[in-house]
Amino acid sequence: MEKRMKEAIRYLGYGRNTADERTRIMIENTFTEMDKVSGPKYICRVFAVKQMEDEIIKIGNMEITSRSLSRNLKGCTKAVLFGATLGPGVDQLIRRTSLTDMSRAVIQQACAAAMLEEYCDEKQQEIGRKLEEEGLYLRPRFSPGYGDFDIHYQEPIMRMLDCAKNIGLTMTDSYMMTPTKSVTAVIGASPVKERCPIAGCEACSKTDCEYRR
Amino acid sequence: MIREQLGNKLFFFDGGMGTLLQERGLAPGELPETWNLLHPEEIRGIHRAYIEAGSDIVLTNTFGANALKFHADGYSLEETVKRAVQLVKEAASEAGAGTGEEKESTGKRRIYTALDIGPTGKLLKPMGDLDFEDAYEAFKEVMVWGEEAGADLIHIETMSDTYELKAAVLAAKENTSLPVFATAIYDERRKLLTGADVPSVIALLEGLRVDALGINCGMGPEQMMPVLEEYVKYSSLPIIVKPNAGLPKQKDGKTFYDVSPEEFAGYMEQIVSMGACLIGGCCGTTPEHIRAAVQRCRNMKISRPAEKDYTIVSSYGQGVMLGDGSKIIGERINPTGKKKFKQALKEHDLDYILREGIAQQDNGAHILDVNVGLPDIDEPAMMKETVQELQSVVNIPLQIDTVDSEAMEQALRIYNGKAMVNSVSGKQESMDKVFPLIRHYGGVVIGLTLDENGIPDDAEGRVQIACRIIEEAAKYGIRKKDIVIDALAMTISSEPDGAKVTLETLRRLRDEVGVKTVLGVSNISFGLPSRPVINAAFYTMAMMNGLSAGIINPLSEDMMKAWYAYHALMGLDANCERYIGHYSSMQTSASGTAPAAEHRGMISLKESIEKGLKEDAAAITAELSEVQDPLDIINTELIPALNCVGDGFEKGTVFLPQLLMSAEAAKSAFAILKDRMDKSGEVQEKIGTVVLATVKGDIHDIGKNIVKVLLENYSFDVIDLGKDVPAEQIADIVVKKKIRLAGLSALMTTTVVSMEDTIRMLREKAPWCKVMVGGAVLNQDYADMIGADFYGKDAMQSVRYAQELFENGK
Repeated sequence: MEKRMKEAIRYLGYGRNTADERTRIMIENTFTEMDKVSGPKYICRVFAVKQMEDEIIKIGNMEITSRSLSRNLKGCTKAVLFGATLGPGVDQLIRRTSLTDMSRAVIQQACAAAMLEEYCDEKQQEIGRKLEEEGLYLRPRFSPGYGDFDIHYQEPIMRMLDCAKNIGLTMTDSYMMTPTKSVTAVIGASPVKERCPIAGCEACSKTDCEYRR
Repeated sequence: MIREQLGNKLFFFDGGMGTLLQERGLAPGELPETWNLLHPEEIRGIHRAYIEAGSDIVLTNTFGANALKFHADGYSLEETVKRAVQLVKEAASEAGAGTGEEKESTGKRRIYTALDIGPTGKLLKPMGDLDFEDAYEAFKEVMVWGEEAGADLIHIETMSDTYELKAAVLAAKENTSLPVFATAIYDERRKLLTGADVPSVIALLEGLRVDALGINCGMGPEQMMPVLEEYVKYSSLPIIVKPNAGLPKQKDGKTFYDVSPEEFAGYMEQIVSMGACLIGGCCGTTPEHIRAAVQRCRNMKISRPAEKDYTIVSSYGQGVMLGDGSKIIGERINPTGKKKFKQALKEHDLDYILREGIAQQDNGAHILDVNVGLPDIDEPAMMKETVQELQSVVNIPLQIDTVDSEAMEQALRIYNGKAMVNSVSGKQESMDKVFPLIRHYGGVVIGLTLDENGIPDDAEGRVQIACRIIEEAAKYGIRKKDIVIDALAMTISSEPDGAKVTLETLRRLRDEVGVKTVLGVSNISFGLPSRPVINAAFYTMAMMNGLSAGIINPLSEDMMKAWYAYHALMGLDANCERYIGHYSSMQTSASGTAPAAEHRGMISLKESIEKGLKEDAAAITAELSEVQDPLDIINTELIPALNCVGDGFEKGTVFLPQLLMSAEAAKSAFAILKDRMDKSGEVQEKIGTVVLATVKGDIHDIGKNIVKVLLENYSFDVIDLGKDVPAEQIADIVVKKKIRLAGLSALMTTTVVSMEDTIRMLREKAPWCKVMVGGAVLNQDYADMIGADFYGKDAMQSVRYAQELFENGK
């Protein structure tokens, strides 16, 4: 089964169960539908990383206090600030479908989430290949809100990337990203190659999560 | 001044600012506008370099200077803006140029100071959380300061959202007397980030009467040319083109652009010859780029763009052009003669109205008429809200249909695009009221061929009124292309010649007056039996006589058949593709593979719901209700089916999509039974009323919507307050209606705070009301901490809690 199909099924709360054929066909069709309305875009910039004291790290001019991010970036000399969005068309479609058929709306929601992850993975691999030429290897993406990496860091990250202008990604006063199917992240780059290039879910400490892979 | 010279003289803007500041040490994320106060000499130096390179129009360093984006402690925004204007003027003086402040003619080259206005960096409601009027206010204050400080014009640029663009242009037009330029940022699909196409942006800006419009940023000059081609095709106003120095590239963590000044100049020469009247550069361009472009293009002849004759209405996503075949204006959002619609309006059931809009678009409507006029409702407020909500779920243009000029103005103001307006008549009073609004906000207005003397009974009289409307509009600068004449269909049951007169009027309006036309088609059959027979035939005849747009019911199969057939027959449907696309799929469903026909008679209603077969459930219910009492069907089929699925979900054998498919199937069955019961006067007793809301600051409402569908299935009345709902609003309704249970959702830690506030307010104002909460970051501990009565891990748990609460309370 395609990876994004598996992911969508997981987001729909199936856990380790498989979805019935009808649901799988609906998911398949929904991916096709979402491909038409989504306009994925991303932006990234590479900054120098400095480990300050314990739990304090500096990316470019941004100082961040976070034990989990410090751990994630340990040994990194650079970090990629990354922002990506599927665009407003996806939100509009989900909102529209919510009015007429909630079962389709939740499937659209799950498919969009899976598409966004897939898109970020793809872009991260592209970025990784380029940085490998400079002898740098990427760590798993780490987003504001993971562990003790405070969600409020989303604001300076989006400013440093000029997300609004470059990819149309903005934020509400309560730090929600708009369009909603969007990601900001820090991706560490270290001169030492390690084993796991992409890992999101598994790295989380909330081991009792029902959506865990 | 500059207004008079636009389109007659080639103007040169300056080039990039941000890239030059970064070279001088501006850090990523640092606010460039603070440099107006911190390093004025650097800013002035850059301005001067551009002036010396040949720029006529210099942008102030205020791109991000608005209260929503400029959060720099210790810097006054007003001072930052005003200083920015002075810096351009100082640079001009230093360079020996004039700024327009000289008392007498000095013969110096004149430099124009353009107040640069960039986007707020926030997304407007309903996609984001910024209110249209708040965006307007943020732009307004900066523009007023800019004018006070002596700016010569307002330059709005890099706009990626038509709604924000409209707020900015309105702020400029309503609060300053300065010329307004507006440019937008496109991607390689020739669309704005929010999806708008070129014709829709131009229609919006021309309607708002900007002085020049165009394209900036996003692309290099080469990639911009296809966008420019479209601008040249549609714009009647002088066009601005300000490309980047190519597409951004990255090296060593730095962004750079690699189109050289010479290459840039070559492209700009081509751009001017294509029709641009004002050129300059954006990101990555330098004084050298501008110098090279000035040298290359300086002596080129330009001409003002020709006046275009397109009638275009637009939504946030697309422009719809009248005149290319016949367009369909959906008539169903209108309470006239519709009991359910009236009830929806009275109960403020916006979802019902929105579903009417979606269904019409799905059936082929190009534009939606919106009429919410009803005695006893606040029409301006309702109209405004309906337009706002509709434009968040349908991306086709709306037609604002009201006789209340207050409602018309409010709707036009917040409408995201260039609206169609229904209507003005030949009565002087009507024209005096409506035309100023069209002049101010833009729009395509329907002119009814009636006046103080009523409706002329011949074509000549109607054509004369049409001409008078066009003449009167011209006094306001409203052009014929922005008027669509309603030839008026009068029922043939009382006027034997009614159809003939209308058709002749249509033909003469097309051939002699050269104006677009519209009709409320179905009026023709009023009072007759089997109205669709007459309507469809008349519709075809009207299109044949030049009808540009018919106001019809797109859900009427007869009307749509007439529409598809007409376009196929008249060569308006290339290779009959549209016709084939529509009717070949219809055939297969008619031949027996339609889901509704598939299982009928083979499965029970209960099974169809358990399996989530929506069409089957509806079909079976319709049949069953012929022979069985609706309440009986609910108790023996629907409720057991829902219980079975609900139990399965709780046990982990049924999953969310299936649970909701069953819920939707049950909903379709309930709808049919409710119709039956309404007719027989029978009522199904509801268990109780639950208020649902996604709390203030939170815009993720899918979880709340799931709970809503399920609660309704289980016979609860749900008052859905939507998303981003202030605590007071929730408390008010709970108090007013003595609600016993409120359900709140919040997605993030940042919004659980407002959930806590809401609970606190409910405790204070409505201590009787229980509160259940749900959302991604919540758990039992968290819910306890914020004082909720119940934490629903999933939607079924919320239903169970509600059942327990209401049933125990009985």
